[in-house]
Amino acid sequence: MQAAFDRRRINGPEESFSPTFTNEPQESILENVHRTRKDRNISDIRPIFLQPGLISQANGSAYIETQRTKIACSVYGPRQSKNTTYNEKGKLNVEVKFAPFSCERRRTPLRDAEDRSIATAIQQALISSVRLEQFPKSTIDIFLIIIEADGVEGCIASGSTAASTALADAGIDMYGLVTSCTAAVVGADIWIDPTQEESNIANGIFILSCMPALGIVTNVWQSGRMTPSQVLACIDVCDSRCTDIHSIVAQSLLVNARSKT
Amino acid sequence: MASDLVLPGQPIPLPRGPVPKIGRGIYEKDSQIRASLVGVPRFEGSNLVISRVRPQPPAPNSVVLGAITRLSPLQALLSITVVDDVPLPPGEEFTGVIRSQDVRATEKDKVRIGDCFRGGDVVRGIVISLGDARSYFVTTARNDLGVIFATSEAGATMEPVSWQEMRCPRTGKVEKRKCAKPEGIP
Repeated sequence: MQAAFDRRRINGPEESFSPTFTNEPQESILENVHRTRKDRNISDIRPIFLQPGLISQANGSAYIETQRTKIACSVYGPRQSKNTTYNEKGKLNVEVKFAPFSCERRRTPLRDAEDRSIATAIQQALISSVRLEQFPKSTIDIFLIIIEADGVEGCIASGSTAASTALADAGIDMYGLVTSCTAAVVGADIWIDPTQEESNIANGIFILSCMPALGIVTNVWQSGRMTPSQVLACIDVCDSRCTDIHSIVAQSLLVNARSKT
Repeated sequence: MASDLVLPGQPIPLPRGPVPKIGRGIYEKDSQIRASLVGVPRFEGSNLVISRVRPQPPAPNSVVLGAITRLSPLQALLSITVVDDVPLPPGEEFTGVIRSQDVRATEKDKVRIGDCFRGGDVVRGIVISLGDARSYFVTTARNDLGVIFATSEAGATMEPVSWQEMRCPRTGKVEKRKCAKPEGIP
């Protein structure tokens, strides 16, 4: 009898079963009680404040604030890559850090694993929009610091919008500006731009990053449980919201550029 | 004009007539010309460009200023600090290399690097290629390229005497460098 596949390691059970989603009592409550959203319509986003050019020593920077999510982003580069391999295209390096006071519980800046997943999502959202072939052998560093967080998905969306604004402020060639919008499936409704409490009661959460100027989607992130038709409905609503956010980003960049000349 | 500012991804309104050649800061996709930077599109010669005054990495044929950091019998290592008259932010220098065959245009095989450059000299050169993974290839093989600023062994700023020599004003001693021709001299 083969006791274990590998004696040097701790093995898991030999038989595995895929997870089944049982009908939790919570869900029946959701179906029966029609949750209403306080203080906003279900298809309204929170008001956004976006200011480029706040950090003077960086090549480009942006600060975004949407009610309780506050993120500062700075862009350095293009600078020489530390790697010894030759790259014809440039690299995009995104680093995210949570401030220790940003969430309800104190976060240790050194051993945090969640910021890596946010950084990966933001990098995937931005990488198709930057003309990396213009910067061979160079790296563009994007540093985001989350000063106050109201939901991880909200941080990803606001962070990618702020990073794209900072890249434009830094004068880095891009195909277009990237904006992101989140949606949560709560019962039978789709709530746009959920806060932390709203995403806790949601069945599934969805983030869409796109370039409204070109009509290209750069990244899609979905977690939780949704039917395919709900996903398609989320994509439609988020797409129109991203166009609204794009006009806010465009406005702030134009105002900033005019004040500099 | 401030109203002509375009944003990345925005289509550029073209003047009537033939489609102009596109230069920096602009790209074409699906036969639609769009901007790639925040700025005002201008005509530079026959090209339509959007210029940016931000520091950029060295590209072939860009004039660079740098300080010599290391010398070897075959090449001199350069820390590039100014690219195309735009200084790079401190700490973000690029490394360049001047190979012995790129120091001057004549007698390329008889070059002694110690007679052309010393550590700490400020050199003007032109980038010839992207080079290898760690450094760009720079050449000083032209009259107006080479050492523009050097300190003598006594510690004073030296003046160029000819394309091969520089003189220290304090001690009068002549040291060998590959000097750049100063402007204004025929």
